Amino acid sequence: MEAKTRDLWVFVETNVDGTAKNVGIELLTPGRTLADGQGGRLCAAVIGYRAEAAVQEAAAHGADVVYTVDGPEYEHYTTDAYAAALTRLVEKYGPTSLLIGATANGRDLGPRVSSRLGTGLTADCTGLAIDEETGLVRWTRPAFGGNLMAMILCPDHRPQMGTVRPGVFKKGPAKTPHAEIVREDIRVAPEAIRTRVVELIRELDAEGVDLESADIIVSGGRGVGGPEGFAPVRALAEALGGAVGASRAAVDSGWIAHAHQVGQTGKTVGPRLYIACGISGAIQHLAGMSGSEIVVAVNKDPEAPIFRAADYGVVGDLFEVLPALTEEVRRLKREKQSGKS
Amino acid sequence: MNILVCVKQVPDTTEIRIDPEKNTLIRDGVPSILNPFDGYALEAAARLKDKDPETRIVVVSMGPPQAEKALRACLAAAADRAYLVSGRAFGGSDTLATSYILASAIRTLEEREGPFDAVFCGKQAIDGDTAQVGPEIAEQLGRPQVTCALEAFAEGGGLRVHKEVEEGVEVIDVAAPCLVTFTKPAWNLRYPTIRRKLAADKAEIPVLGEDAFPAIDRTRIGLAGSPTQVKRTFVPPQKTGGVTIREEQAADAAKKLLALLDGRGVLAGGGESHGS
Amino acid sequence: MKNHILEKRYHIEIIPPRHDADDLESDLATFAEKYRRVMDSGYCVCLTDNAMGRMTFQGHEVITELGLPVEPEQVMIHLNTFHSKEQLDEILTALQALGVKYLLVVSGDGAPNMMRLTPRDLGSEGLSVTSVELLRYIRANYPGFVPGVAFNPYEPAEAEFAKMERKMAAGASFIITQPLLGRNEMFERLLAKYPDVPVIAEAWMSKRAYLLSDVVGYEIPTDAAYDPVATLKELVALYPRCGFYLSILGFKTQYPLIGDIWK
Repeated sequence: MEAKTRDLWVFVETNVDGTAKNVGIELLTPGRTLADGQGGRLCAAVIGYRAEAAVQEAAAHGADVVYTVDGPEYEHYTTDAYAAALTRLVEKYGPTSLLIGATANGRDLGPRVSSRLGTGLTADCTGLAIDEETGLVRWTRPAFGGNLMAMILCPDHRPQMGTVRPGVFKKGPAKTPHAEIVREDIRVAPEAIRTRVVELIRELDAEGVDLESADIIVSGGRGVGGPEGFAPVRALAEALGGAVGASRAAVDSGWIAHAHQVGQTGKTVGPRLYIACGISGAIQHLAGMSGSEIVVAVNKDPEAPIFRAADYGVVGDLFEVLPALTEEVRRLKREKQSGKS
Repeated sequence: MNILVCVKQVPDTTEIRIDPEKNTLIRDGVPSILNPFDGYALEAAARLKDKDPETRIVVVSMGPPQAEKALRACLAAAADRAYLVSGRAFGGSDTLATSYILASAIRTLEEREGPFDAVFCGKQAIDGDTAQVGPEIAEQLGRPQVTCALEAFAEGGGLRVHKEVEEGVEVIDVAAPCLVTFTKPAWNLRYPTIRRKLAADKAEIPVLGEDAFPAIDRTRIGLAGSPTQVKRTFVPPQKTGGVTIREEQAADAAKKLLALLDGRGVLAGGGESHGS
Repeated sequence: MKNHILEKRYHIEIIPPRHDADDLESDLATFAEKYRRVMDSGYCVCLTDNAMGRMTFQGHEVITELGLPVEPEQVMIHLNTFHSKEQLDEILTALQALGVKYLLVVSGDGAPNMMRLTPRDLGSEGLSVTSVELLRYIRANYPGFVPGVAFNPYEPAEAEFAKMERKMAAGASFIITQPLLGRNEMFERLLAKYPDVPVIAEAWMSKRAYLLSDVVGYEIPTDAAYDPVATLKELVALYPRCGFYLSILGFKTQYPLIGDIWK
């Protein structure tokens, strides 16, 4: 495909209720920088059903143009419907770059679209910039379980595509929208959708876990000793407004559901704050949380490898330290709320 | 049912060390293993075969000659037949070029083995970590895909796939021929039996090189056929371990830590919700 | 097990061939040779279970595949907690069918990618699965076996003796220790505490004592002079009440010597 514009597009994934998933809005932040750097407009591509709220949110967060495709066939994500719609939009308007949030659906959609367009995709980027030498988007991403970083360019194929995990960039403030809204009527016939959701089996103890976009995660490992051992972990997470994670050891021992597992065969997370409690620091676990901005380790064993990966290490019994932390967090928040600090 | 499983031999990334002087990865002596996610894909195929012994499982890998070892491990565990796609011209391929080569290989193999009802892949390779090749192959073959699957069952000519989603498990029906990528279920790839391992060690593994694909478009393979190029790589700055807090009283440790975290602005003022 | 000690029946450890063996056929032949030799000598063959987290074929599978003889008094199989429930029952059922009697039940080293038993699997209320829970499960569901447990004289004493009390309460019939390098105080304390329990001391038969550094908890220099045969002689003289478990035994040069050491 040849680019027709110098625009940068951000695919904004929607929820079933028509609101935007956070990651799409987050990507408008670096999207603005890249669009300006490329000399084009920042555009959002919103696909969904009755997704006016998502369109407005994209407009309020700086998009110059919001392309929207709306229809019942897009109410729930399917590869066929979304790939068809996004590809046709891109082929019609020819952006030079396209960002997609790396949610489970985004990771399903991105490579399908990039392959259909015959272009290059760089997945799970942690850094985005305009390459000074070439003017191309420079995509930075981890490989080898986070042991190596690679800077990638897509010199000759368009659009230059990349996926970015939730939480890597922060949502900007909402402003007065100035976007042009372009509604495209793209229909996908039911026969063209080759997958069918039969049912959803909810995992009872998953507790609505969304580790991948959590800002703060408190994780428990072998050191918590059992399912009851997660109580102080949960209490601290709650006090901090964060999510609960777990190491593979804790999950394999049946103390907590797999949905909470952080690590190579679990989830990859990149919170602002990651607190690892009773976790030794096996490489598979570190691979999952190495994207964390600040790492705190709480462990009885001063030799535990986790301390080498931590910004702050507390040597002590987590059953004493965590309740103390929880208490202190609550106290600090009370102070802030009453404007004392 | 005919199932093709795409597998990759990868370095055991948990064994990778960093050379502190040169700031590069030390790859010597790092053992090569079957990509664990491909193992889950193979196990999913094996479970289908447990239920229907008529099922045939073919594995294919694109890689250097050493990748044969991973293919033999697959034969020993569950596969019936293995092929290695290997050739100089394939080296340096990014995911799009790789998926083009594999899609070509799959079409060629279908001439020999008959059509595949399903192509199974691991969700991602633990060295590249991109999770792109599976869906790209599906696109190039024009087949529907389901990603992040835990398990698959034969259902009316197609597959009923259990897909891992945030809330739990989504059950999805997909018509054959299709492509499914697998994530980690509650089990691992089965162990080899002695008989299977002995047979696997002796098995012939045909190598498909460039000449096996006369119709392949050379401009779409290798470095030249890769839309993405690596500008450079670097080892990320290593955390050397920071501040250690060790107090007699947990309350003192807590106060110290929180003062430090608050100083970095991590604790928002009063009861904000995070991460939705 | 008492009779093993009375009859001066050595326990000889053999590690089964690995899943990733370069030449499985050859490894199986070597294994069969060693196994038969131990049988012919009247000793007891002890087969490990993924020792040091390295995947090997299970003892029962190798025995069945090679058609090796099972004399109940001459076979002991290790069993650890790094299995799925299905694998565990498969192993125990197969061993039962073969007529295997002795098991050494250990927690195991495991490796990150291995399956592990959960408390729920074994109907245990506990927080995790150790040799204690596994032992209880075996006693309750496979009463025909005679299970033993491990003792580590290099761990902190109080914790290790407390663990041993739990193991005994769970139904252990005998004890096998980590390698002894000579006189060992904690080992003697064990003997004193359990005068009626058959205790078998492990003797490390490799000259490379430094490989035991992790086990003993202190650095043994790589060039440290270690004479395994002399050590075995010493242990036999020191502890006449005990049996002996030989690991890393050299079948070519050392095997012919051991008969005369303990008789």
